[in-house]
Order: sequence, then structure tokens, then C-alpha cells
Amino acid sequence: MVELREHEQKTLLALQKLGGKAPVDEVVKASGLAHAAVMRAALSLTAKKLAQTHERKQTVIKLNEEGKQYAKKKLPERHLIDSLVKLGGKAPIEKVAENAHLAKKFIPIALGWLQRKGWATIEDKERVLKALKRKPAEGTDEKLISFLNEKSSFIVEKLSKNLQSAVAVLRGRKLVEIRDKMLREIELTSVGQKLVKKQLLIVEEVSQLKPELIVSGKWRQVRLRKYNIEAPVAVTWSGKKHPYARFLDELKEKLVALGFKEMRGPLIELSFFNFDSLYTPQDHPAREIFGVYYVKSPKYGKVDTYKPAVENVKKTHETGWKTGSTGWGYHFSLRDTQRLLLRAHGTALSVRTLLSKDLEIPGKYFAVARCYRPDMVDKTHLSEFNQVEGIIAGEDLTLRDLLGVLERFAIDIAGVDKVKFRPDYFPFTEPSVELVAYKKDYGWLEFGGSGIFRPEVTLPLGVKVPVLAWGLGVDRLFMMKAGIDDIRHLFSQDLDWIRRKELT
Amino acid sequence: MPTIEVEREDFEALLGLDLPRSVEELDDMLAYVKGEVKLFDEQEVHIEVKDSNRADLWSVEGLARALRGFLNLEKGLKNYSVAGSSGVEIHVDSRLENIRPYIGCAIIKDIEFTDVMIRGAMRLQDKLDQTYGRNRRRTSIGLYDFDLISPPLHYSVAKPKQVSFVPLGFSVKMTLEEILEKHPKGIEYGHIVHPHAVWPLLTDSKDNVLSFPPIINSDDLGRITENAHNVLIEVTGTSHETVLNTLNMMVTSLADRGGKIFTTQVNYPYKERKNAVTPQLETKTMRIDLAEMNQLFGFKLTLKEVAELLGKARYGIAKTQKKGVIVRIPCHRIDVMHPVDIAEDIAIAYGYNKIKPRWQRLPTTGGISSHAQFCDIVREIMVGLGFQEILTFTMTHPEILQTKMNRKREKVVEISNPKMVTFTCLRNWLLPSLMEFLSHNTHVEYPQKIFEVGYVVVFDGEAETKTRDVTKLACVTTHPNANFTEMKSCLEALLLNMGLKQWNIRETTHPSFISGRTAKISSRNREVGILGEVHPQVLNNFKLKNPASAFEIDLKKIT
Repeated sequence: MVELREHEQKTLLALQKLGGKAPVDEVVKASGLAHAAVMRAALSLTAKKLAQTHERKQTVIKLNEEGKQYAKKKLPERHLIDSLVKLGGKAPIEKVAENAHLAKKFIPIALGWLQRKGWATIEDKERVLKALKRKPAEGTDEKLISFLNEKSSFIVEKLSKNLQSAVAVLRGRKLVEIRDKMLREIELTSVGQKLVKKQLLIVEEVSQLKPELIVSGKWRQVRLRKYNIEAPVAVTWSGKKHPYARFLDELKEKLVALGFKEMRGPLIELSFFNFDSLYTPQDHPAREIFGVYYVKSPKYGKVDTYKPAVENVKKTHETGWKTGSTGWGYHFSLRDTQRLLLRAHGTALSVRTLLSKDLEIPGKYFAVARCYRPDMVDKTHLSEFNQVEGIIAGEDLTLRDLLGVLERFAIDIAGVDKVKFRPDYFPFTEPSVELVAYKKDYGWLEFGGSGIFRPEVTLPLGVKVPVLAWGLGVDRLFMMKAGIDDIRHLFSQDLDWIRRKELT
Repeated sequence: MPTIEVEREDFEALLGLDLPRSVEELDDMLAYVKGEVKLFDEQEVHIEVKDSNRADLWSVEGLARALRGFLNLEKGLKNYSVAGSSGVEIHVDSRLENIRPYIGCAIIKDIEFTDVMIRGAMRLQDKLDQTYGRNRRRTSIGLYDFDLISPPLHYSVAKPKQVSFVPLGFSVKMTLEEILEKHPKGIEYGHIVHPHAVWPLLTDSKDNVLSFPPIINSDDLGRITENAHNVLIEVTGTSHETVLNTLNMMVTSLADRGGKIFTTQVNYPYKERKNAVTPQLETKTMRIDLAEMNQLFGFKLTLKEVAELLGKARYGIAKTQKKGVIVRIPCHRIDVMHPVDIAEDIAIAYGYNKIKPRWQRLPTTGGISSHAQFCDIVREIMVGLGFQEILTFTMTHPEILQTKMNRKREKVVEISNPKMVTFTCLRNWLLPSLMEFLSHNTHVEYPQKIFEVGYVVVFDGEAETKTRDVTKLACVTTHPNANFTEMKSCLEALLLNMGLKQWNIRETTHPSFISGRTAKISSRNREVGILGEVHPQVLNNFKLKNPASAFEIDLKKIT
């Protein structure tokens, strides 16, 4: 069975009603379809060999302006004969013309046609008109004029033979316009004829399934139009988390699973937390203006609430205090501890945690901390970035445990194949260890720095147990995972990149 | 971190060993000295030493000295002894007490200089000046051909225009003042002496200028060539201890090259310090407790093993006790402040990779902060509403926060030492970051719907940092039909999902938004944020063609 769409079916039925063959316009009327729909149906039906189309030349005739006027007022010769008959059938031409209210210029034409049609004759030379018929019947030219007036335009070939004979006359009198026109006809083929006889029921076709169809059950009577499912569609950009933010979320989850608690602290930090408490001497190069961003105004904050710790830190820097250290041996400035800066590393948060009354021992803490360094932004540097850092505080923690933590991070977080440890340096840890991890297809990768806080750091804060401190190079890990080699993409300004970046 | 440039052949000769062939192997070897290969070819090796405290490792001699221990080529403390007194005296002027009070000198004799050695010494001098010497503020070094100098020396002061000499690298005499104005080193380091009325000057008995510390040496005396066999090293600075430490770095390096060390005597006129013989190469001692160290390591070493490892790390042993060791620390190990420093060296000598890692299951409960949890919920809702999360910098510029947003100038937290013209302050509201983001994406398909949950920083006189971080949510929608209604609807969806029972959206005015299409959002009588259609002037400022509608709220206030 041939699959027929609704407008094809309607066209076939209309053709049947019209006797199997009809011009497009008639099919339009009979089917109730739009012209374009019928034309489309004609094409597709032809393709299915159910119908064929023909083109035929036709002559269209219509009255021109003058012709329309005559249709209203009748032909001038008719005026003359009517006037003549009223005057008794014989009268001077001037008299007849005057009674006929005919403009002078029409008189010669009217006289000519009167004589040609044999309605009257001019007698003698005295210009007297004499009627030959009392009431001449309507001529075919007049009939054609009224006919065309009613139809506005008509196909010459379709006129009766009689009327057709007047076409030439009217054309001669320049009362009509005649032009050629192509006629498109649709005709059922024999296959089409048979099909129509069998398939008389028209099924309505529907593009969009609407609530009323579903509720009324009318969907059963309609046909849901088949779509071109391969046609391209507009892209929908879903809302989603930023790929790097999502990566950090995942990292947090892993750290939480390993028993770490999140720490928080301010972006603008006291030098005390960023440096002094971390046993970084006050003239250390890292504290110079090319190592850290300082706040222009206000320049100084307050350390009053941390007074005992500040005092202990001062003594430790100067002489080593009770820590067993020689100290740095310089005069420690309390003013400098209050200098405000933009947090340069997440370790500042670890110190805040160690100093907090909520510190738990044993305790594991981490932070994803926004940090700042005065670097020119390029492919490998940002002046603002995230650091993932933390501490583990507990009795009996050792260098072995530090390595254990690093190994666990490398396996659980980075999914690496093997690890190796290298000596490292931080002013605040001793021993210090760098984690280097090997991942297939990537090679060796520096993945983190760590160490055990120096006694010069923990004791002034009142912490008497070992504290393991660690930081992870997560930026590089994400870049590796996301396949990017430009660190600026972590804070990408490229919406298209973010939209297209798959979530992994 | 300092990068040490060494000549490969010279390095191998000092080590007494051929370097490994691959970078990876060399990296493994250099791990003992916290070194990382930055360049490795036939001629040169560049090594980054990741320890800003180990000044003894900043020369090829120092690297070789340390590595020979770890590689079992030469163990134990390397002793540097004085060959004798040079008889040279240095007289210090009392006026230096508040300017640059200390000086230390040493004479190294009978040294056969090569071009490589001179370059190495210059590099070490430079590294020490920059890092340990804090860009010459704390200490600075001068080297001279001793045979051209007539002792005794005078470390004195001069007025800026009083003295003139030919500074290194120049051919004309200049006054001290001219040096500060014209000589590259004067321009670079002039700020150290400039605040003082008189400036340090080192001269010999014939009034020849050796140097103008810490700025520049004289071109006549302060230049070492291959013809020099006897060298005077001088260090001036603000602390006696750091001056002596710096001097030891130079002296031990040149002694490793075969030079003999002779002392000098510095005569101080100060109340607290009369005179000093320099250099001071004596070793120091520090006790390490075996039990404490094993407790730090988490594995047990015997005293015998400790002694062996100390030797590899090039320490000496003054005395072995029952429960510990009195360690002898060489004069160039100026970094050792605490037994943990020695302990680390023992662990490095033992080999980090020989230690068996241990994962301790501690009874702790993990968790993210309630703040982060709250932010996560907000982000989840915004994503559900079809918004793309973006991440932007908290550092920005007042132009973006204010001018482009059609706002008046106001005080924000500014950075005193910005590095880039685009990052000079911290943002005090979030929406400008989003507008700036959109301005970079005008070629990208619309509609664009973005949001960020991020920090802004505001002033807070009560806070210990005089400022406070505020977590904000800002979001924008922009497309040809973007309007107030769309955003109001999103905002209400958010508030509803955040569990707010009640809120008010009342008309207000704000220069960044279109008048009559701007609202303030409040809840429980607190203003929590702003909502509106972005002002066309703002759109023009950010070169945006589509209308935009946005809101920004303080997340803490809807908690």
C-alpha cells in the first residue's frame, strides 16, 4: 500500500470528483487545500505515478476600459436605432443623433455599424436615416460583451461557438484584451483511479501532538506526521558547573572521604599568619614587594586577639625561645606582623586552624584557598590561583606517615602509577618532601610539596604534637586531565570553550 | 630559588666523577642537594637549588662538596683551617655605626685563577648579594687583587661629593653622588645609602679607593684577573653574624680551589664591639637525641647508622653519647638552627625512597564547611536554571567596577604594589566581573546565561584585617529579548529553592540599571541584593549589543 499524506489524499479525491482531470485552480477549490499544497501534492503524486500533470496553452479574453463602458451603456449603434425607432423609423441623421444623446465623435462609427448590421440605411442625399428593422435582436458581439462583463475574464476556447465568433469583432473594435496563458492540469493515472476508489477515507495528519488530541483520544484518528529525523537542529547549551570548579569539588569530596575537614580564612591576611607564624624572617625575600601583594590602605590590621602567640613567635624569631632553635637573631617588629597583604599561600589557613580553640587532635584539615602572587599572567603563571593545602596533627605522627599521606594522595586523587619522594624546602617545615608521581602517557610530574612543621612554628602556637603539612599541585593535575597547556584556561574568559568542554 | 650555572667539565673535576648521561639520572643525583636540572648539555649544567637557606650550595664548589658525601666519595666534616694571620688591619669609622657598621675580611693566597673560577666566584658573589644579602641591604661582597693594595685599610665614610674614583666598568672618575646618578649599580642600589648624609667608603693606607659599599668597587683595585694570585675578600653589612657567614661562603669556596686562608683584624670603635679577627671558620656543635629523631622519622636508626649518615651529610661528630650525638657543624652550614635541620640531612642521606610510607587511619571525621555546602546548593540551583558557571579573578580595576558600570568613584581595597595595570584592586561587587566576561564573548552564540558564586572584599573597621570577604552570587542573561521578568523569575525560583518563605522586590534606582526596571531584593527586613535590566550605557561601555538582565545577592543574607 502506498503511504499517502493528507494533502495527497485530498488532491486525489478532488480529482476524482472533477472527473479524473482538472486544472490546478479547480482542484484547489474542490479540495479546500492551499494552492501550494496542491502543487506539492501534484509533484509527489507524479513521483508515485498516481497522477500526472499537463500543461496547455489557453487564450484569455477580457474587456478593456472602453469595452467595460459599452457593457454599461450599450453600443452606439444600439443608441441610434432606439432613437430612430422612437422618431417613427425615419428621421434626419442630426435629429436621431441628438435624441440618442450620442457624442459627435461616435456618430460616424455608429452609422457605419448600423448599415453593416443592416439595421438602417441612409436615404437620398438628404441625410435621412431609415430603419430597416423595428427592434433588432441582440447581436453576438453584444452578448459577448455582457458575458465578459459578468466573468471579468474568460478562456476563449471555452466560449460557445457562437460567442467565439464575436471575439474577432470585439478585437477589431479594440474593446478587449487577449493574452495567452499556460494551463496546468492534473490527471489521475489508471493506478491513481484505482487507488482512489479503494481509499476513500481521509486520515487527518498532525505535526504537533497537542493536549486536546491526547485528552480527547482523537490522536487515534490522526496520523502523526513522520519527521526528517536527520535534519540538523539548533544547539542547546546546558547550564553546568565550570570544569575546573567541578574538578575542585570532586577533589574536596575525595579529601573528605579521607577524613579531612575544610578550613576557611580571609583573602586579606595579616603578615602574622602568612609569614611570621611560619618562621619566615621579616626581611625574607618572599616578603618583598615582588613576592607578595600588599594592601595600599588600610595598611595594618590588628593582632591583639593573638597576643600570647605573637609574643612567642617574636621570641622564637629573635632567640629561638623554648623551641630548641637558635632563632634568626634579629630584632622582630610587632608592627610588621600587622601588615595587611593578599594571602600568598594556603598555609596561612593552617596556622589559623592550629591557633583555633576548635582544633582537634588528632585532626585532619584542608582548604581550597584562593591565593595571590605578583606574577605577570601568561601561559604558565597566574597572579591569582587556588591552592589545595592542609595539615594533619596528631601524637606520634612521623616522616613515614607524611610519605604515607603523599602516597595516598597520589593514588586516590591523581590515580598515578608510581611515586617517588625528593627532598624539598619550605621555611616552615623540616624535613620537607616533594612528591613526584609517574603517570602513564604523562611521565613524571611534580605533584605536591610537604613537610613536618618546624618546632619554631608549632610550639609558639601552643601545639605540642607533630603537624604534617601538605600542598597539592592541583592546577597541573587538572590541566593534565583536561588536556590543556595554558593555565589561563583555569579562569577561562572563553565561553565557547567552557560550553564545549566535556565534564569528566 | 637560585639557579646555579656550572661548567660541566669543572663540575666533574671537582666531583671526581662523570655526570650521569640522562637528565632523569642527574635529577635523581641532584635530589640530595634539592637540585633540579634546568639545563644540561656538553658544556653547561644549570641547577636550581630549591633551598633558599643553603647558601653553601650556591657555588659549584659547594655543590661538589655536598654531593661527594652523599655519593660516598668523601665523608665527614670538611675542615677549613687558617694558614696564618695576614697582619692586615681594618680600621672602622664610628660614624658607620648607624649606616653599615660591620665588615669582615679575609686574604686568600696562592690561588691559581682560571677564567672558569673567576666566573664562578662572581656568580656566587652575585647570588649571595641578592638572596642572603637581601639585595645588598644586609650584606654585600667585594673582591680585590691583594697585591695592589697597601694595608691597613680604612672602612670609613665620605660625603657624596667629597671623593671621586673610577667605578668598575667605567673609565672616568666619578664622585659618589655621580655614581648614584649614573652608574647602573648606583641606580640599582643607591637607595640603601641615599637616606644618609655620609656614605660608606673603603680605602687603603694610600687613600686609594677599594670600594663604595654596597654600591660598586673601584675599577683599579676591585677587579680580579687570571693574573691575581692573592685575593682580598671583604663583606660589609648590617649584622656582624651575617657578614661573617657571607665571608665564610666566599672563603670556603676559594679554599676548595686550593687557596690558603689568612685572617685579618677588624678594629671597631663601637661600645659593644671592639675588634674581631676574620674570617671565623670554627665549627659549631649541636646535640641530637636519638630517641627524638627516631620519633620524628617513624623508623629506628642505631647510633652507628646515624654516625655513618652524618658523615655522608658531611657533618662531624664531636662526641657519641649513649642516647645521642654531639654533632659538629662546619662553618659553611649557616642554615642549621635546630636539631630538625640535622635530622633532615640524616633522612636525605638515608634516602627518602628507602623509607616505607605508612598510612595511619586516624579517628577523624571529614567534612566540607557549611559555607561551601551552602554555596554548592546555590550553584546547583543556578545550573538547574540553565546558567553556565564561570570563574573570574577577584583582582580587577576600578575602571571595571565603577566607570564602566556607570557608578561614581568610591574607595575599594587597592593593592600597593600591583604587577599588572589590569589588576590593581579587589572587587567589591561581582557583577562587573560577569559583564567583563560577556564583553570577551560577543562572537559566541546567544542566549548567554552565566553565573558565579565568588568572593568580594569590603571594608570593615571592626575586623582584624579591617576588611571582610563577602560571598556573592551574580548572574546575567543576555540575548535579544532579555528582560527584567526573566531574571525576576529566576531569582524567585532560587529564593524559593533556598527555602525562603518571604521576600520583597521593590523598585529602586541604581546607575548600572535602567530606571523603572531596577529592584532591591530584601528578606526579613534586610537588603540582600539588586535586580534589574542593565543600563544601555553600561552595555555600550562593555561593547555589548544585546540587552542584559542581571541580579546580584549576598549569599550570607539569605542563609
